[in-house]
Amino acid sequence: MSRTPWFLVRRNLGEHWFRSLLTVGSLAAAVFLFCMLRSVITSLESTVEEASADRVIVQSSVSLFVSLPQDYQAKIAAVPGVEEVSKFNWFGGYFREPKNMFAQFAIDHVIFFKMYDSDMELMAGHDAGPETAAAVIQAFKADRRAAIVGADLAKEFDWKVGDTVPIIPTIYRKQDGSEWEFNIVGFYQPKRSSVDRRTMFFRFDYLDETLRPEQGPVDVGTFSVNTQPGYPASQVISDIDALFVNGPQSTKTSTEAAFQATFVSMMGNLPFFFGTIGGAVLIAVLFSVINTMYIAGRQRVHDAGILQALGYRGTVMVRLLLAEALLLTILGGGLGIGLSVLAAVGAKAVLASFLPNFVIMPDTLMWAAVISLGIGVLAGIGPGWMASRYEPTAALRSS
Amino acid sequence: MTSLIELQGVSKEYTRGGEQLVVLDQLNLSIDEKSFVAMMGPSGSGKTTILNLVGGLDKPDKGVVSVDGLNLAQLGTGELAKWRALHVGFVFQSFNLMPVLTAYENVALPLLLTPLARKKRREHAEYALEVVGLKDRMDHRPGQLSGGQEQRVAIARAIVTDPALIVADEPTGDLDRENADEVLDLLTRLNQELGKTILMVTHDPAAAKVASRTLHLDKGALADRGAA
Repeated sequence: MSRTPWFLVRRNLGEHWFRSLLTVGSLAAAVFLFCMLRSVITSLESTVEEASADRVIVQSSVSLFVSLPQDYQAKIAAVPGVEEVSKFNWFGGYFREPKNMFAQFAIDHVIFFKMYDSDMELMAGHDAGPETAAAVIQAFKADRRAAIVGADLAKEFDWKVGDTVPIIPTIYRKQDGSEWEFNIVGFYQPKRSSVDRRTMFFRFDYLDETLRPEQGPVDVGTFSVNTQPGYPASQVISDIDALFVNGPQSTKTSTEAAFQATFVSMMGNLPFFFGTIGGAVLIAVLFSVINTMYIAGRQRVHDAGILQALGYRGTVMVRLLLAEALLLTILGGGLGIGLSVLAAVGAKAVLASFLPNFVIMPDTLMWAAVISLGIGVLAGIGPGWMASRYEPTAALRSS
Repeated sequence: MTSLIELQGVSKEYTRGGEQLVVLDQLNLSIDEKSFVAMMGPSGSGKTTILNLVGGLDKPDKGVVSVDGLNLAQLGTGELAKWRALHVGFVFQSFNLMPVLTAYENVALPLLLTPLARKKRREHAEYALEVVGLKDRMDHRPGQLSGGQEQRVAIARAIVTDPALIVADEPTGDLDRENADEVLDLLTRLNQELGKTILMVTHDPAAAKVASRTLHLDKGALADRGAA
């Protein structure tokens, strides 16, 4: 025996179609924003989580903007538990015009790609494999001006192996003001989602030997250190920092995860910032949907009286308004989730340099669905209860 | 003829603006089965309160309201709703149709509370609309019907579950003379041909004339001058 005239839900929503449309639209926008902002947060967190456990980063204890002497490399390499060390210098140039900014790093050509074997796969053209990877390393070692770039970056600028790419410096300027030229010898594909797909790696010795006659030896931004498997990273960290405690530059060594976390925190407290925005928008929409449903509930008091006179119980209005609110929030939430999934593809491309591993995690979509349903329940129960608590005679008197 | 409705020592008070208003005071009333009773009286005399008590929409402060031997005051809210669904049909002055539903859907609304299957519900609703002469308007919404047609749809809704009792609160109050006469004629037919007991509140002497008995109320007290 049916006790609820469910078709009233559809009819009432259709009767107030513009209000329904606005409610669905506002919730869709809020859920979309929630999904995107939360995905930025979870992607930032996963960058930290994906960091290698066997790698530590050495930087100046003052800040990332203070460099370290080159001779630190040999001293770090001699610390017990250290397997390999590479210089890692931010170059900060751009291709042709400033809008074509992407990351360029000067690294040790002999050791770097061996150290980062678990992070990226080298490719000569578009086919990856041990033979082509070895050929790329060989070419990288043979040419002082060699560069290996992310496959996505090469695709973006239509670079091919053998191309010479001019990069305009913003930090390492030559006295004659000329551009730096790099020869593309291969590409890489990230093996982990947190590795940037749009980076150029080139030889530190090219940078150093070009500038040394004019400006002296180039200092090093950070040293990337792989520890021996099984050797406690904490011991390596304290030993390295102890080694340079009396200068000339004291160091601050941290695990790659901690370094990534510090790097993320340099951008401000993004999780808090994004979380606050997303939360505020959702709360605003919650109030808006509840307000809409209260208006609907107020308009439905007379209907509640009619239904009660016909033999329905007062609680029928709770069920009807709850169903109305849930239908609106399911539609709005579903639309917002769908839009965010579609937009994620574009967002991944836009955020490629800043957040290469941007992805909308299933738990974000699940939370969006749960929040949408929660808003529906909250927005439906209150107005439904309000409409149902009227005595039939009082409800019938209401206009 | 046996009595269908019994009111014994019924009192009802309301509080309005902090003031206690005695609407019914120790009222005794008996209405026979299959009778057509009109209730007249000035505003505030308690006519609608009696309808609400007899129709199970309200409960007395004191006394007993029984319909077909059942003391309504003893029923809980849910039981009372169930009783209304099966035993009483309401006709209101302002029709009280759901504006978002068609005439057919309005009439079928009470049938959802019965165990009838969809097909049977449709048959019952169509028959009720046929009785009131509006089967051809079943897909129209209230806004597309005249006042008289709306009231006839409301009457079809009141009889669709085949209740023994129909309570009508000024059913002709919002209608012109022609439509009012059509509605009164319909109520008379329901009483005479289908044996429905009708309790009708009205201010219209012409409406009261079609009833078999007229009750006059004043300040919550009854002065029965009705015939038969």
